[in-house]
Amino acid sequence: MSYVTASRLTRRYDLSDPWFIRMIAGRKTNVLTAVNQVSFSIEKGTTYALVGESGSGKSTIAKMLAGVLTPSQGSIEIDGQDFNNPGLNNANKKLLRQRVQMVFQSPYASLNPRWKIGDILLEPINAFNLIEDKASRHKRVIELLEQVGMSAHDQMKYPHEFSGGQRQRISIARALACHPELIICDEPTSALDVSVQAQVLNLLKDLQNENTLTYLFISHDLAVISNMADKIGVLKDGELVEEGKTSDLLANPQHAYTKMLLAAAPDIGAYIS
Amino acid sequence: MMDDKDMQTPLLQINQLTVTLKKRQALFKAVDNLSLTVNKGEILGLVGESGAGKSMVGSAIMGLIDKPLFISSGEIYFKQRRIDINAQPFRGAEISMIFQDPLVSLNPLRTIGSQLVETIRTHIPLSKSEALERAKRLLEEVGIDPARINAYPHTFSGGMRQRVVIALALAPEPSLIIADEPTTALDVSVQAQILDLLKQLCKDRGTSIILITHDMGVIADTTNRVAVLYSGRLAEIGKTYDVLKNPCHPYTKGLVAATPQINGASLKNKLFQIPGSMPDLNSIPAGCAFYPRCSQAVSRCEGERPALFDNRTACWLFDKGAKPK
Amino acid sequence: MRRFFQSDIFYSFRYSPVAIVSFVIIVFIMLTAIFADLIAPNNPFDPASLNLMNGFTPPMQANDFTGEIFLMGTDDQGRDLFSTILYGLRISLFVGVMAVMLAMLLGVMLGLVAGFVGGWIDSFIMRFADIQMTFPSILVAMLIYGVAKGILPPEVRYEMSIAVLIISIGLSEWVPFARTVRGSTLVEKEKEYIIAAKMVGLSRYQIMIRHILPNVLSPVLVIATITFALAIIAEATLSFLGVGVPTTKPSLGTLIRIGQDFLFSGEWWILFFPAVTLLAFALSINLFGDWLRDTLNPKLK
Repeated sequence: MSYVTASRLTRRYDLSDPWFIRMIAGRKTNVLTAVNQVSFSIEKGTTYALVGESGSGKSTIAKMLAGVLTPSQGSIEIDGQDFNNPGLNNANKKLLRQRVQMVFQSPYASLNPRWKIGDILLEPINAFNLIEDKASRHKRVIELLEQVGMSAHDQMKYPHEFSGGQRQRISIARALACHPELIICDEPTSALDVSVQAQVLNLLKDLQNENTLTYLFISHDLAVISNMADKIGVLKDGELVEEGKTSDLLANPQHAYTKMLLAAAPDIGAYIS
Repeated sequence: MMDDKDMQTPLLQINQLTVTLKKRQALFKAVDNLSLTVNKGEILGLVGESGAGKSMVGSAIMGLIDKPLFISSGEIYFKQRRIDINAQPFRGAEISMIFQDPLVSLNPLRTIGSQLVETIRTHIPLSKSEALERAKRLLEEVGIDPARINAYPHTFSGGMRQRVVIALALAPEPSLIIADEPTTALDVSVQAQILDLLKQLCKDRGTSIILITHDMGVIADTTNRVAVLYSGRLAEIGKTYDVLKNPCHPYTKGLVAATPQINGASLKNKLFQIPGSMPDLNSIPAGCAFYPRCSQAVSRCEGERPALFDNRTACWLFDKGAKPK
Repeated sequence: MRRFFQSDIFYSFRYSPVAIVSFVIIVFIMLTAIFADLIAPNNPFDPASLNLMNGFTPPMQANDFTGEIFLMGTDDQGRDLFSTILYGLRISLFVGVMAVMLAMLLGVMLGLVAGFVGGWIDSFIMRFADIQMTFPSILVAMLIYGVAKGILPPEVRYEMSIAVLIISIGLSEWVPFARTVRGSTLVEKEKEYIIAAKMVGLSRYQIMIRHILPNVLSPVLVIATITFALAIIAEATLSFLGVGVPTTKPSLGTLIRIGQDFLFSGEWWILFFPAVTLLAFALSINLFGDWLRDTLNPKLK
């Protein structure tokens, strides 16, 4: 059985006017379906990429898998457990949360500017109560920093003292803090320069191998996805229009939208090979 | 498209431009002794990472440099005439600029028609109706239905708005358009359309374009020649095909190797990583700016800043007159 | 601390004459008020030390009857004006600081909750703020004063008037705090570090206090400075109108009121010195607040 299974995920937003305005002005209800019956599954230790343009619903799906947005319909199962099961008590909910973490797009908005790095990394450790004594917690923080290629004395600094790429590494370290199994990467390198992007993508690959991590990788950049993903799902206007292994999908796209995306994507490779 | 005759009379020539930043009584060079040319009817790419100074070069040409930045030395020649750094109207008519965010480039309170007409009439003496006709033709040229001339910007999508911005840039019939990351905020499919439009305009009208971007893929798809910037200096310049296929400067080599490609067979292999990061303005090395990160550096690179060799690259490795190591 | 002196803010301060001068004046006045005991030649609040014959002495001139010399003259009851101003400043400062703190506490709390929780709570708080803004603070103060006067026994009159002043000024000045904090909260709550905090399982309350609050406080400092000036003037106005501190232990406002009566009969100094002090103090605070707002403004870079 797959590690992550999303079944018929749907998310609707009710944008209607209040009912008596509708009555008076004769307007209809207006419901926006951001995500429509999207199903996919991810094998443990692999990277599944969701590619789409703005309005495709990829960020909404990311948030639903992260647990910060409730699906209007459909279910999410992680390692056999239903994520949104109302029967789950708080303790189990927390355990489930511990297994899923997220790395965000904006290096500037993903770290609290008023907190020291050490505190930012301590927060998940404290919240999930993973380590008992204080000394070991601090050791863990240093361990996390070194895992992402940074150093122990960075923990006394503030986010604004770091570059975009370094901040993304700190975000990754924070995501690793509670030993998650699934990491949702929401456009983690879209705001970074090419050389920094290479460093971060390589880091993500290394971490995946060392810790058997499963990634849901969200991006609009087909080149990055080619490099990162085992399987790709193509989203258009909230629907999954095509899905397949990376090599298959890129070599033999079936859906017209996929073909269009591939044709439109600027690719240095096509130029120089 | 261009013959050798045109190559001898460049449209735009930048000589040893230096843009300095003044912060707390100290001076830093955001652009350092940069020289390059733009020929007629070509698309020149200006590529570099954040902080390399590429936007600064565009702003300098347009005269948009404001305190605390200022142009401390260098000259810019347009059509063989020297540009006075502070002459606004001259540039507006001959050189236009397009920015990244179409949302803020258009006045939300005015129809696109009125903005176009105003721009046209500022530079070309036409009556209102003549200007309106011209505006409609411009909209057609950029792929917008001229019937929408009285629409407001917010009724257009991001890509369409960027087309309106391009129409505005074309209104004074410029010889040169500077496009500063024009497609970075747009979706991939829309980006392709806009870049195609720019290529078409260059071909049909002979307008030269300076395309500023950080995306190597965009450079590959769109430009004839490319200039690679690093720490405010020119690292390499040449025909796009040459520079990308056979890069000379170690930085360019690193950038190309670090750019992921859409490869049906690519199986999650690691991308090349240039160690370290581009230095801050206040810690640019004394010799070659790339020296601390360069795997091919020689001792000379540490203390001496390389000149441009072969009209191609600023790297001591290519100094043919040098004695062997 | 060293990091502060190397910061951009301090640099801007050093090179701004307005900031330095206004800051110096503020600190000077506050110190003289705090150390009034030590500086003042005599205690004007002690009725026993007053000599009615000293009344109406012009500044720096020997009194006709007792021969004493007063730096700024005396008022109608023989109080040394200089000492009275110093002690009066104390009251003004106390009321000002306490009122600002009340307004800040109330405003920041309400703004945080309105911005973060949203929904009908947000609407309710904001409409309440709108309604509150339609009432001039002076009227609110007079209302509270009148009610309090009717309820409380006369022995606590003096303490009551201070409390009434603080409460009424504080209650009328909380809205700018709330609005600004609510705006900043709305912006911050969409940022990704809040999502990260949610994913770790923090409660809404924890997120509000630990994550959002530190990031919405910077404009609060500027508003506090400006509100402080407003509070000082509000207190002076209320005392001037007679609904503030009674004349036995006058504040600056009361002194101005007293002085106004005597302006045209020649005893100009009773009005002049308290008014100038109030002006200098309020102006300095306003200028400093303006400078602070301009410096803390994220610059274009």
